[in-house]
Amino acid sequence: MVATAPLDTVMQALAVPTRRAVLERIIRSGEITVVELTRGSGVTQGAISQHLKSLKQAGLVAERPEGRNVYYRARPEGLEPLADWMSHYGAFWRDRFADLRALLKEIDP
Amino acid sequence: MNDAASDTRDIVVEEVFPHAPETIWKTLTTGELIGRWLMAPAGFEPVEGNRFTFQTKPGGAWDGVIHCQVLEVIPNQRFVYSWKGGHAANVGYGAPLDSVVTWTLSRTADGTRLRLVHSGFVVPRNESALETMGNGWKKVVRSIGGIADEQG
Repeated sequence: MVATAPLDTVMQALAVPTRRAVLERIIRSGEITVVELTRGSGVTQGAISQHLKSLKQAGLVAERPEGRNVYYRARPEGLEPLADWMSHYGAFWRDRFADLRALLKEIDP
Repeated sequence: MNDAASDTRDIVVEEVFPHAPETIWKTLTTGELIGRWLMAPAGFEPVEGNRFTFQTKPGGAWDGVIHCQVLEVIPNQRFVYSWKGGHAANVGYGAPLDSVVTWTLSRTADGTRLRLVHSGFVVPRNESALETMGNGWKKVVRSIGGIADEQG
């Protein structure tokens, strides 16, 4: 099992338009190499590699080496922090517990 | 490994409070007090079957209303209500949610252990889920700002 990256990491990875475009292409392709991603992208292979690194750290893509190539594919579970309400509600309930503690202290000192 | 298209998960928060279960029970089941630590409920009564709502920030196609129904009331021990909201057109904040909130109180030597379980979060797990999310992709990116604001 691969742990889900924190919401911040995922958000930062998606904050750059070029990087989102790279991820969208990976999603559409199923599996794709750096060379194929670079072709027709208008940016250097080095830049694409940097974007892939960020996406990998955010848990949004996974790689599979085969011979001299490395294939990249999207990790749907990497989108969990955004695609569900859990992170929202996790923080929400922890804050509510803090408010409840303050209220109890006030009404039952 | 779960092969299903989705999986449900729970949020669990548990803390010990230096107050009697009866005192905490009051804060969980009195409309006016709920409004002081959670949100002000509309139409709330701590009676099984009672329906009430919370008004939260609207998001996308969702009006921000959370619909609840009291499912179980065991005074000073257990309080359960459903928690439904969201809209199918949303991804991220405002996504559909059909969940249950369970409060459990247990007396300890110097207070009460309060346990919250918010269950029923559907988490996408596989490629077909990715396809679905791919369609909502632009919305996800747009909603990032909103999520960041709330967390900040």
